Amino acid sequence: MASSNSGERVPLIRLAGVSKRFPNGTLALDNVNLDVQRGELLSLIGLSGSGKSTLLRHLNGLHQPTAGEVFVEGLNVSKAKTSELRELRRNIGFVFQLFGLVGRATCLENVLTGALGRLRGPRYGIWSYPKQMRREAFEHLDRVGLASQAYQRADTLSGGQMQRVAIARSLMQRPKIMLADEPVASLDPESSAQVLELLLRVATEENMTVIVTLHQVELAVGWAKRIVGLRDGQVVLDRGATGLTQHDVMDVYRRVDHESTPKPSFAAENANLTQLAQTQLQK
Amino acid sequence: MRGVSRSKMPKPPRRWQTFALLIIFVSYVAATVWSWTFIDMTLTTLFGGFSDLWNLITYMLPPNFDNLPTVIEATIETVWMALIGTFVSVLLSVPLAFLAARNTTPNSVVFAIGRAIITLARAIPTLVLAAVFTLALGIGPLAGILALALHSIGMIGKLFTEAVENSEEYSREAVLSTGGGKWKTVVATIVPQVTPAFIGTALYRLDINLRESAVLGFVGAGGVGFVIQTELRGLDYQRAISAVSVIFVVITIIEIVSTRLRASIIGDSLAKPGRVTERSKKREAKDQRMIIDAVTTRQLTPPMTYERKLRAMMGITFLVLLVTAIITIEMPVISSFGLLDDVWRSILRLFPPDFETAGADLWRGIAETLAIGFIATTLGLLISLPLGILSARNIMAKKFVYSTTRLFMLGLRGLPELVVAVLFVSAMGLGPVPGTLALTVGTATFMAKLIGDALEEVSSAPREAVFATGASGIQEFFSAVLPQALPNLVSQTLYMLDVNLRSSTVLGIIGGGGIGFLLLSALRVLEEQTVGAIIIVIFVIVYAIELLGSFVRWIVE
Repeated sequence: MASSNSGERVPLIRLAGVSKRFPNGTLALDNVNLDVQRGELLSLIGLSGSGKSTLLRHLNGLHQPTAGEVFVEGLNVSKAKTSELRELRRNIGFVFQLFGLVGRATCLENVLTGALGRLRGPRYGIWSYPKQMRREAFEHLDRVGLASQAYQRADTLSGGQMQRVAIARSLMQRPKIMLADEPVASLDPESSAQVLELLLRVATEENMTVIVTLHQVELAVGWAKRIVGLRDGQVVLDRGATGLTQHDVMDVYRRVDHESTPKPSFAAENANLTQLAQTQLQK
Repeated sequence: MRGVSRSKMPKPPRRWQTFALLIIFVSYVAATVWSWTFIDMTLTTLFGGFSDLWNLITYMLPPNFDNLPTVIEATIETVWMALIGTFVSVLLSVPLAFLAARNTTPNSVVFAIGRAIITLARAIPTLVLAAVFTLALGIGPLAGILALALHSIGMIGKLFTEAVENSEEYSREAVLSTGGGKWKTVVATIVPQVTPAFIGTALYRLDINLRESAVLGFVGAGGVGFVIQTELRGLDYQRAISAVSVIFVVITIIEIVSTRLRASIIGDSLAKPGRVTERSKKREAKDQRMIIDAVTTRQLTPPMTYERKLRAMMGITFLVLLVTAIITIEMPVISSFGLLDDVWRSILRLFPPDFETAGADLWRGIAETLAIGFIATTLGLLISLPLGILSARNIMAKKFVYSTTRLFMLGLRGLPELVVAVLFVSAMGLGPVPGTLALTVGTATFMAKLIGDALEEVSSAPREAVFATGASGIQEFFSAVLPQALPNLVSQTLYMLDVNLRSSTVLGIIGGGGIGFLLLSALRVLEEQTVGAIIIVIFVIVYAIELLGSFVRWIVE
């Protein structure tokens, strides 16, 4: 899939000159321009603090840009009203690093909360959701392979299982876009592979547009069709996943040396990641 | 020490906290000494008091249960009052908690108002509220229920708010991003997290409210207190003690039940964990089968496991009790909203407060209130130290010693201290001395339990280490046990002072001295604006104590 903007089709997602400065003064995004077409599988890579999570949170309006504009499905997110934002969020699935499940509630109930956007009024307990929705929730649990855990409390599951329940919850929204913020960062390698495979499968089945942030390059290269690299809030890499060179990746994981010298820990992290990327690319 | 001269010994570091603590300690001792002279407490009055108590006990025995039907009826009314009062308070506190919690409040104005309501509710004692409400609602349980409901918001609202603030936020962000909307998200993610804490708090408050509602009858607000007071006025001590013993038994039973329930709710399971028996194995197997059945047949309702059955049963039991309570007490559910209007008007009549009529008596009342609180805390602490040590399982080797002590204390703690106070007043006459002694007994038994518990929590490793050097039991206590338990003891003493000062503001209502006595006299002659002034003074005292308490705790930590 081409990474350049075709200019003819209206992109599903467009970030135009987006900058974000947090109240504490941190510049998290620095003039980001990015178009994403319908059906793309995109991975955002970069060091922690490079602005990946912040970028994702701009797409469903959890954050508002300081400058620039964000368009999603034709809606100007940066100027949207609260009700429009809620409508937008209903159509965007969001998967978090720490799953965001209610531990005391059963898996089925957790999946059901994904339908809250479609329902009027607050709900508490499985009984308060319509039967049709309970059936639907069961089907989604089935898809992620956890139907047999439906009536188990979410906090009795393993991390990988929790993330699968979280994906089932997103599916409950019937989303056209799925955003995943470090979905496997808290998981062991085997669970990580399962979760990423699941994301890929549902994305293909539902013809979803998926943006996943990953800090492990090897996972991103194996998973996505397009790789976008962020460094200090700027897009420094944007290309297809095939034929990615070592140099490209090193550029993403290099810290721009401002006036101050980088802390040793950063340097160490840099060295580690660069080496990781190298070994991965040699394979 | 050879080779190191004395002047070169490093001095222990001195921080300003140490200095502040010293000042607090000195002023505490000074306050106690001043209190002692102010109330004219002498060792003679103290021991005279105890001999009066001995006489009282001989008058009371044997109890005369002739009045049992009346007593039982009044006791049941007491329980119903506590139940309804707590329930109404929970109903009011749930929305309040979400409005006053930092993470769910809509805006800073609502937040401030919510916090203010909770603080205000906490600072006006139930008995004071009940006394005022009887003016509007007349003699009867309704005034008592309203007083319980409003004052309890102070504690229930505070603990609920803390539970909401301590809930985790990841699930909230996740559900919010599904387009859930703010309140739908709060109900779906925070409410399930805080439910156990809410139920636990409500049960705990039910215990406290039962004790409180036992004394509301003293101001005509319903319950067994009225019977106790009537019998005491008729100097029929044997009948009074029958009422006291019935309410004591009921309080103890309900406390045991609610403690068990609370433990299992906090432990997240109503089914008793631990013991594996044939029955529990069968039950678990049955649960497993049900769950497997439910998921293989894609059953859309949760399977009725043993745990869920227990929960349902608890809920139904509670509802039945609540409905019975409302029917028995003939509580006007709908027209009570109309009564609120009367209550509101009677509150308005307290304003503007009239500080002139009471005048200098007000100052004397305040001084006496503070004096009672300080003496009761200090005396209680002195008595509780040996009692606490005797009750600590890990210090007293003999089971007989600690279990007898524990039982004795449990018995004394079972009585609400105002019930003890009313007995003491009737034995010794009106005045601050019987009130002080009643609070002393309450403090001693309560502190002894805390001290016993604190000592038992002491880690055993240092004790073994000291013991291994060949130290005696007493040396071991002072060098390895006391230092570990001391911080806890200091903060518990502060807590006790806080509790006692609160109690001493209302002691006067039953003739035990302090500012409450002025309140009672003003109520009797319907000087409503003076009542208003006294309530404001009580509020200021209680609030000042709370601020001082949190300041001292801040220094200690």
